[in-house]
Amino acid sequence: MDRLIGFSNLLAAVPTAHQLTHLNGVDILIIVIYFAIVIFIGFYLKGASTTSEEFFMAGREMTAWIAGLSFVSANLGSLELMGWAAAAYQYGILATHWYWIGAIPAMLFLGIVMMPFYYISKTHSVPGYLHLRYGEGARALSAITFAAMTVLMSGINMYSMALVMKVVLGWDLNFSIWVSSVTVAAYVALGGLRSAIYNEVLQFILIWVGALLVPILGLIEVGGWSNLQARIVTNLGRTDYVHLWSTLGHFSSNPMGVHWTGIVFGLGFVVSFGYWTTDFLVVQRVLSADNIRSARLAPIIGAAFKMAVPFIVILPGLLAITVLPFHLVGESVAVATGQHSYNEALPLMLVRYCSPGLLGLGVTALIAGFMSGMAGNVSAFSTVWTYDIYGAFLNRKATDKHYVAMGRWSTLVGVMISIGTAYLVQNAPSIMDYVQALFSFFIAPLFGTVILGMLWKRATKQAGFWGLLAGTLTSIGLWAWVRLDPSALRYVALSPDAKDMAENMYRALWAWIACVIVTVVISYMTAPRPVEELEGLVYGVSPLPEEHDEHWYQRPVVWAGVVFGLFIVLNVIFW
Amino acid sequence: MRQEISIWFFCGVLLLSYGLVIFVEGIWELFHPLANPPVLYNLHAAIWWGAFLWISGLTYTLKFRPRRS
Repeated sequence: MDRLIGFSNLLAAVPTAHQLTHLNGVDILIIVIYFAIVIFIGFYLKGASTTSEEFFMAGREMTAWIAGLSFVSANLGSLELMGWAAAAYQYGILATHWYWIGAIPAMLFLGIVMMPFYYISKTHSVPGYLHLRYGEGARALSAITFAAMTVLMSGINMYSMALVMKVVLGWDLNFSIWVSSVTVAAYVALGGLRSAIYNEVLQFILIWVGALLVPILGLIEVGGWSNLQARIVTNLGRTDYVHLWSTLGHFSSNPMGVHWTGIVFGLGFVVSFGYWTTDFLVVQRVLSADNIRSARLAPIIGAAFKMAVPFIVILPGLLAITVLPFHLVGESVAVATGQHSYNEALPLMLVRYCSPGLLGLGVTALIAGFMSGMAGNVSAFSTVWTYDIYGAFLNRKATDKHYVAMGRWSTLVGVMISIGTAYLVQNAPSIMDYVQALFSFFIAPLFGTVILGMLWKRATKQAGFWGLLAGTLTSIGLWAWVRLDPSALRYVALSPDAKDMAENMYRALWAWIACVIVTVVISYMTAPRPVEELEGLVYGVSPLPEEHDEHWYQRPVVWAGVVFGLFIVLNVIFW
Repeated sequence: MRQEISIWFFCGVLLLSYGLVIFVEGIWELFHPLANPPVLYNLHAAIWWGAFLWISGLTYTLKFRPRRS
């Protein structure tokens, strides 16, 4: 979810004549070691991915920690890191909302409420759950849109990352695109989801050790958090950059042009729950858990780490406001004047503090972040294509071995389509905005369809399909309305002072409401499914398997409570 | 028969390698200072961060090394 919004700033970037820095031999050695280990893991795990359950679901053998770190790592792409550091420079601490209220409640909800249904239904994908609950129509709609959008997004990510490497290090675009994508294709095609998950855990560790020095050294330089706040207020002459909630009473009283209702209901409820509970890219990681307890704990572990990510993303953006000797500007101004853009905030901070070796580690963290995001995309694409499109509609009776082969080939094809998209975008940058918007159209309504299916046994097959379609069309319609008539933003986002961020949140909210209303109305107009057909799919129809923890503190719900308590405390501290 | 190599072993090897390279580079720079040093270069982050990575990596490498079962 956040990556969609987070790197939107970056997408307008075009190559500039200068480069920020260059790497020396030690930095190159750091990068080479990383690629060597990643490729080795792919070859090593090839033998452990011979059945479809092993290739697509990692054998459902992952522990809670591995599934949890992979869950959060698949989302932690480098464009997300740089995009949100840029947003923190531009909008202040408000950007943290995308990591806290825009993630934590939804991740905990997935673990405590939704995961048991995903897990005990033994589905292999989110479209697969829709098939069990609503039939072929809803599955086909969600599978085709997800598969298409996933590889397109992967290509856009790839191009944007290559562009960053060109701007920061002067690397050739073709070199960055081909080396990184061939590596990802190799280790995912060889080792399947297990290989993708192993590498995501590795990349998660790498992102932390590579990026953590920047906030540590930055805080030492400015003299701690209190001094940082004071310097931001002094430098900018305004206080709304250092408060999370107190400036959200009106659209015009904060730099982002958002209102607290949009943050809470649009971002915190619809967008966040839509992304974290129904986007198969992240849900697939949790489905690989070795038992239902691990599957419930994994999102909770992921939430705890997600809550800490602003320390390596938002804080560097805030530090950049005070320590950089020049002001960063928007992409168009940067291109016209040769100044540095917002999107260079994180790389600039890396260059500011990191000597040889450490700089290589930081750059490797960015490359790792990119590759984990891409691996997540292609492994999810491969699974949905093989199970929910090819296996469901084109070839239902193939052998297990055939489906594994199809999984490997579709991984390679997915990467090739991504590369093609990257080159297409290079020649027609406006495509990026459209693909981004397309992807966002499906997230909010899909959440409405899935959550009604899980919690309401009266929801019918026809209602599931038409509700999903109505929500999607509502989102497309509102988006088109604002593009054709920008003044319509006041109606979509409920204020003439609203900005783009507010539009995204409210559009998601209206799309979700449309989906829910249509689903409920059509459900009452059509015949319900027999209760016995809903066993294991809907709350209240079948008992959930009991979990036997030796001690109360081992229960997932206790840890969810701890994480949620910490989430509340942090929001109050930075109010 | 050897058990499957744990992901934590791979993490350990990576940190161990990086710690060694960065620590050695930091020591080298003590005697050959950079012509254009980064901000707070006087804190020698490469030495203590490299040592931290090396110790963490060594711990994980030893704890999760593949054993015969």
